[in-house]
Amino acid sequence: MTERPMDPELAAAIQMARQMSRRRFMVRGGLGIGGAMLAPSFLAACGDSGGSSGGSGSDGAAAGKGAKKLTISNWDAYIDEDDDGNVDGSGTTIAEFQKASGVDVTYRKDYNDNDEYFNKIFSPVLGKGKRISPDITCPTYWMAARIIGLGWTEELDLDLIPNHANLDDSYLDLPWDPGAKHHMPWQAGVTGIAWNPKLTGGDLSSINDLYDPKLKGKVTFFTELRDTLGLTMFGQGTDPAKANVDDINAALDKVEEARNSGQILKFTGNEYLRSLENGDVAASIAWSGDIAQLDPELGIKFIIPEEGGMQWFDTMTVPKGALNTVAAAKWMDYVYDPENAARITEWVQYISPVKGVREVMEKAGGDSAKLSENTLIFPDDETLKRLKVFGELDQKDEVAIQTRFNDITG
Amino acid sequence: MLWLVLFFLVPMWTLLKIAVSTKPNPFLPEYELTWRWSNFSDAVSRFQPELIRSFGYAATATVACILIGYPLAYYLAFKAGKWRTLLLGLIMVPFFTSFLIRTIAWQTILGSDGPALWMIRTLHLSGVADAAGFTTNGAFLNTPQAVIGGLTYNFVPFMILPIYVSLEKIDVRLMDAARDLYSKPSAAFRKVVLPLSLPGVFAGTLLTFIPAAGDYINAELLGNVRTGMIGSQVAKLFLRESNYPAAAALSFIFMAIITVGVLLYARLLGTEELSA
Repeated sequence: MTERPMDPELAAAIQMARQMSRRRFMVRGGLGIGGAMLAPSFLAACGDSGGSSGGSGSDGAAAGKGAKKLTISNWDAYIDEDDDGNVDGSGTTIAEFQKASGVDVTYRKDYNDNDEYFNKIFSPVLGKGKRISPDITCPTYWMAARIIGLGWTEELDLDLIPNHANLDDSYLDLPWDPGAKHHMPWQAGVTGIAWNPKLTGGDLSSINDLYDPKLKGKVTFFTELRDTLGLTMFGQGTDPAKANVDDINAALDKVEEARNSGQILKFTGNEYLRSLENGDVAASIAWSGDIAQLDPELGIKFIIPEEGGMQWFDTMTVPKGALNTVAAAKWMDYVYDPENAARITEWVQYISPVKGVREVMEKAGGDSAKLSENTLIFPDDETLKRLKVFGELDQKDEVAIQTRFNDITG
Repeated sequence: MLWLVLFFLVPMWTLLKIAVSTKPNPFLPEYELTWRWSNFSDAVSRFQPELIRSFGYAATATVACILIGYPLAYYLAFKAGKWRTLLLGLIMVPFFTSFLIRTIAWQTILGSDGPALWMIRTLHLSGVADAAGFTTNGAFLNTPQAVIGGLTYNFVPFMILPIYVSLEKIDVRLMDAARDLYSKPSAAFRKVVLPLSLPGVFAGTLLTFIPAAGDYINAELLGNVRTGMIGSQVAKLFLRESNYPAAAALSFIFMAIITVGVLLYARLLGTEELSA
């Protein structure tokens, strides 16, 4: 879940448009989500200095043990909402949590882009040893690795999070956070390809189909480097998990050529969904959960390309110096209860990192049971074998590659 | 004077200092003032296409604004009669909606399901529209034409209003006098009205060209990957790369080109009250 850089107003407007289209479908799909539009959260000023004084040393501000209040900064459309589109309406995860724990939650949908959040909030504020206002932020795995490496997160108090035991084992031996002591995954997903059969005139199977001259000028890719380059590398037969610099540059060459020839119309974030819906774009790279939530009548299809797909996950991290670390731990514990996690999964339709969610949904029957058989939400071994996570880059390579990628993406 | 120091000189000096700084660690918010002047040449060579494109698009949009705005202003000033206030109001009405929302609305209008293409298809004019350069391969949206169109649409009121004001100031008796002296209507316009309205055209050009050249919303929302303008590059340098020195250098170059351009333009057009 990453997006292109934008000013907050623009991001909010696009968010609004996207939410409207999603809600529109939900009404038709009979999922009972009302037609009301969400109040857009114009949260430009997310970074505040929180009253921490002076100390610009690397130690940073001291963390607080607050247990009564909690501020979460998350991506848009990433938690269940009530019929009117309120994240804290009755019956929602946030409302239930507030009832159970007595914690007052402020939930902001202002985590819009990893690079943007890093360059506007993490780096200028945490980098100066000051405190930011959210107690939990939701960076994607590679950004979480970066800020954990920079020492800008608080270690989690696992004694307060007994449900940490429900974390899927595959997340426990990550090189950048062994044992998951500085982060807990929020949702995971797959990057594959989506297309509108009416415009492509047939089905796609390979990532290289997006490079087919037949679709010239009707294809979009992501501004998210690891998705666009990772899939392209699959198409070239190289391994994105190894992240070899020569292989990456070869992928960059291919993307650059396609950009210059007019094959690629645009590089986008979440806006790709609207373009696909409107028919302005015939095919694109896409995120699994997004397509699962589209109106089936549009006939838009999503697959993991035959060469393979990119896997990613977004995390919950506690920024250095956060005031309400105890409340943050309570929240993490709450959403790692399989019953609560299942409620979120049913709404967002991404892959849950919590063990036991599938069983809960199977037992619930009806639509939930049907969702529990979806291999894009609960990937089987067959599917998992075809997915890869982009390898780690060292800082110097990352900056050089990102700069070149930025020049290509416009 | 204090105002000028506080809000012009101080920011300029800060911008210049950042433009010649370096950032030792790309992830930390620290800058070293190293007087690295090559930031400027680096910015020019890296963003040359966008610089040229920005000025090209802005110039085209400005010319289009004059072609649309002048007749409209003329009509308002001399022919609209009792409708004048209403029409002036109508020109202002779009400002009640955000710039951004209006531009996003154009995505729908120009999109492949939108009314613009529907009309062309219904009239079987797709080939003609392509040949005339209005569309590219049958598409309006995500083309350079859409970006220039968006710039024209968004800035045309800034052209109409100053021209209207300068036309409105013209004493109508001057036109009567020209007619009395056996001037044809076209000559009266050319020799009397047009020269007197040039200050308005000049002001309108500045009000249109400068913001249009720096705009990035239109390029971002209506263009494609090969229509990026300077604004989007500066935003990218700030938000994606956090490369403040390059962003500052690029902004400086952009401002310098605009300043020189405006001075030259003032010279050429020679409207004394503005260039003095």
